[in-house]
Amino acid sequence: MFSRRGFIRVSSAAVGSLALRPFGLLPALAQSGPDYRALVCIFLYGGNDSNNTVLPMDDTDFQAYTSIRRQLALTPADLTTPTTVSGSPISFHGQLPSMAGLFSSKELAVIANVGPLVQPLTRTQYQQTGAPVPLNLFSHPDQQRAWETSYPQGYSTTGWAGRVADFIATQNYNANTIPMFLSTAGNNLLGTGASTQQIALVPGEPLSLAGFDNSAESQARYAAVTKLLTLNSGIALAQAANQTLSNSLADAQVLANALGKASPLKTVFPATELGAQLLQVAQVIQVQAALGMRRQIFFCQLGGFDTHADEMNTLFGLYAQLDPAIAAFYAATQELGVADSVTTFTESDFSRTLQPATDGGADHGWGGNHFALGGAVSGGQIFGQFPTFELGGPNDTDTRGRWIPTTASDQYGATLCEWFGVPNSVLPIIFPNIANFPTQKLGFLG
Amino acid sequence: MTRVRLSIVLLLWTFGVASHAAAQTSLSNQAAARFLDQATWGSTPASVAALQKTTMEGWLTVQYQTPSSTLPAQPINDPDGQPNLDFTPVQRAFFQNTLAGQDQLRQRVAFALSEIWVISGFSDRLAYAVPPYWSVLSNNAFGNYRDIIKAVTLSPGMGRYLNMANSNQATAAAGSSPNENYGRELMQVLTIGLNHLNQDGSLALDAHGNPIANYTNDQVTDMARLLTGWTYPTQPGVAPVNNNPNYFIGQLYAVESDHDTGSKTIFGGVQVPAGQTAEQDLNSLLDALMAQKSMAPFVCAQLIQHLVTSNPSPAYISRVSAVFQNDGTGVVGNMQKVISAILLDPEARAGDQAGAAPVSGFGHFREPVLFLANLLRGLNATLTPTSGIQVASSDLGQDLFFAPSIFNFFSPSYQTPSGVVAPELQIYSTATASLRTDVVNDILYGSIDGTTTFDLSPFQQFGANNTDLVNYISAAFLHSTMSSDLRAACLSAANAATSPGRAVQAALYVALTSAEYQVIH
Repeated sequence: MFSRRGFIRVSSAAVGSLALRPFGLLPALAQSGPDYRALVCIFLYGGNDSNNTVLPMDDTDFQAYTSIRRQLALTPADLTTPTTVSGSPISFHGQLPSMAGLFSSKELAVIANVGPLVQPLTRTQYQQTGAPVPLNLFSHPDQQRAWETSYPQGYSTTGWAGRVADFIATQNYNANTIPMFLSTAGNNLLGTGASTQQIALVPGEPLSLAGFDNSAESQARYAAVTKLLTLNSGIALAQAANQTLSNSLADAQVLANALGKASPLKTVFPATELGAQLLQVAQVIQVQAALGMRRQIFFCQLGGFDTHADEMNTLFGLYAQLDPAIAAFYAATQELGVADSVTTFTESDFSRTLQPATDGGADHGWGGNHFALGGAVSGGQIFGQFPTFELGGPNDTDTRGRWIPTTASDQYGATLCEWFGVPNSVLPIIFPNIANFPTQKLGFLG
Repeated sequence: MTRVRLSIVLLLWTFGVASHAAAQTSLSNQAAARFLDQATWGSTPASVAALQKTTMEGWLTVQYQTPSSTLPAQPINDPDGQPNLDFTPVQRAFFQNTLAGQDQLRQRVAFALSEIWVISGFSDRLAYAVPPYWSVLSNNAFGNYRDIIKAVTLSPGMGRYLNMANSNQATAAAGSSPNENYGRELMQVLTIGLNHLNQDGSLALDAHGNPIANYTNDQVTDMARLLTGWTYPTQPGVAPVNNNPNYFIGQLYAVESDHDTGSKTIFGGVQVPAGQTAEQDLNSLLDALMAQKSMAPFVCAQLIQHLVTSNPSPAYISRVSAVFQNDGTGVVGNMQKVISAILLDPEARAGDQAGAAPVSGFGHFREPVLFLANLLRGLNATLTPTSGIQVASSDLGQDLFFAPSIFNFFSPSYQTPSGVVAPELQIYSTATASLRTDVVNDILYGSIDGTTTFDLSPFQQFGANNTDLVNYISAAFLHSTMSSDLRAACLSAANAATSPGRAVQAALYVALTSAEYQVIH
């Protein structure tokens, strides 16, 4: 609602000024050879009920889980064979066999009960009014925004990956060919920088304008269109639209040239929406050298996770799409020889109540379990702690099992960014609350 | 800042002159076509002429009395006896209505409402659920907002989409809680929003300068309890049970044994007494919503965004909100008065005067459905039973009746990286920007879908006179306000064309791909 505009002015001043600090004065990335690193975010829209994605299988936890989850409880038959981590067994949802396998082969790590926080928070602190918490908890757009901006206590006009792109742009690390942040899921606040633009692709669709040839007539029409993009109509919304089409035209040729020279990937991707997005990402990674890109952040999405009802069937179908797409993407990075250079990770609005809602679903929660995957990941481990499965227990906000995160999304993001090459001195600009957490990096990378 | 304020004052003054003059002379082509760009799917020579025979107020009165066009009922099952998942006939009929329906304003308002009161095929894709839901919005668009809330709340489509249908009171045996989805989003998205708003849409702040939440999470839980006990209408020929299976024709009805009759505390600390029926509880909720002061600015600002401008001034929102709060006879939520207030407001009408300079943040970007409907009307399209115009809409990011969530295809608060609020630009990316030019290319130079045809003959009456051609395009698509830059660009493309027919194509291509056209302003 633009009724928030007044507030944006107040709060984005704080973040905006951070984002606009002169990066040029900051230490440069260590430039030791033509290394390449990419982060790939898969956002699970709607709030993935990660209570059923991966769970502890020791008797105490599993019994508590089963008795509270009722009709949403997975049985051992619905789960992958338990893997023991530091003496404790865990299992994945049965439709995530590849991810379970990548966990066992130590290429995938679990980050448990992670979510947006302003500072570490206990149940007691949460229930006392006044403890700083993310704005509008349990609201989809607000918690998506919290993940995207890493400024959960207010509104930021830039996303954390956009601020990383702003920093990378000061390092002359990438050739000036395409933007560092590339989305296969439309414009996203995550990749909005203060000084950098983002690029969005529809998988498989070129950005170039159709219907032009070399005739004088056609060239005159093209010139008329492109000249208009440089003129000021005096209409702010038209200028913004012109900027987008200008970006599209600027990116179109270089991308088409690079992609056109690449040989097809041998890895077969599933013919799903997410499969198509990750295939497009893999194809762009394949031509990173031709594009002169040494640092890239990609954004993909899978929607449909708002499972207030009929959750068992819905998650079954969504995981059946997620798992093979992730597996194919990881295989493609191995095929391209960049598995160690690409780290894939998940985000989601929030997890969901451990206690079911009527009609076979669960309601909006907060902290949830997430994944990092790649050759550089210290896989096969749990980072952070699963919540105590107790309604009204130490991790619950109230009495329905809405978990207060025990690890902050900032710590998760800072770990990714350190590996990506963001120096410590820059981290507070990317994650304004990071200093509030005693441990800033979780150790699952590098 | 000063310049903007001065120009608004100036425009208010010129509007005063215009409305005075309107009593004696008919509306100019510019004023009539510009109004119709806001109130219909697009002006045509015929619709401009019709408006010029009356006044904007008179036109609105006729529109308020024009009955709804409808979307055709769809079979529940396909010929193989499987659930009918084909939305194509409904989507196509929607575009046919934009092209030929007489209830242009009703369709625009119902479409705006459908982007607030979103249901989507995303969850289970049953085609027959859509026409009845569209009728709820269309039939209530010119009624009272309270009736819209109630009709949508009891519609099976919303009951399914946000899970109020078959949400039962908690029982120890079930171990589950009433479903929070509808109770939460009814407040957050559909009526009052997250925070207290002033009448002008700005955030009301507490003594520390912080926003004031409209409700707590405990109150969400109580809203869920209040809304328990409703189930789907009973499908003919099927025995009713407490929790009927999905059925999308008719209204939800109450099963009192599944309703939580305890007392509830909802938003604003409103106490709903124990012992009420499901319907009594719902009426208590409607009373509380209609008395909640954030609703008028929350709803009115979004309606203004859908019809007129992404960036209404606080004063504009305040004027419309005041009408929402009281239509002059003490009634809250009178939609006809609200719509008239939106469309006749001096800020909406400021650009009607010849030579009026554009106001920088004014107007709104044509979302794919508005863009395509406008092209259909402006280029004299004929749809066929196999037209695929809805595919173009989907390609551009707006698969009709398939919003990704209750939060619609785009957010009312979306800001571009340059910092301007422009909701519809959220789905205008580098990808959809180039695809949008391709749609124009297909229409003018090829084929959009193989069967939809366009009649360009009105644009072909000027022979080699490209100046007259461009003037005609300006009248048809930019209510005669084409800038000198766009005019020059159209002319340079037309003048390089190898025949008058190709000049028409070239000039139209440049005009219709321009941002100046794509922002209704």
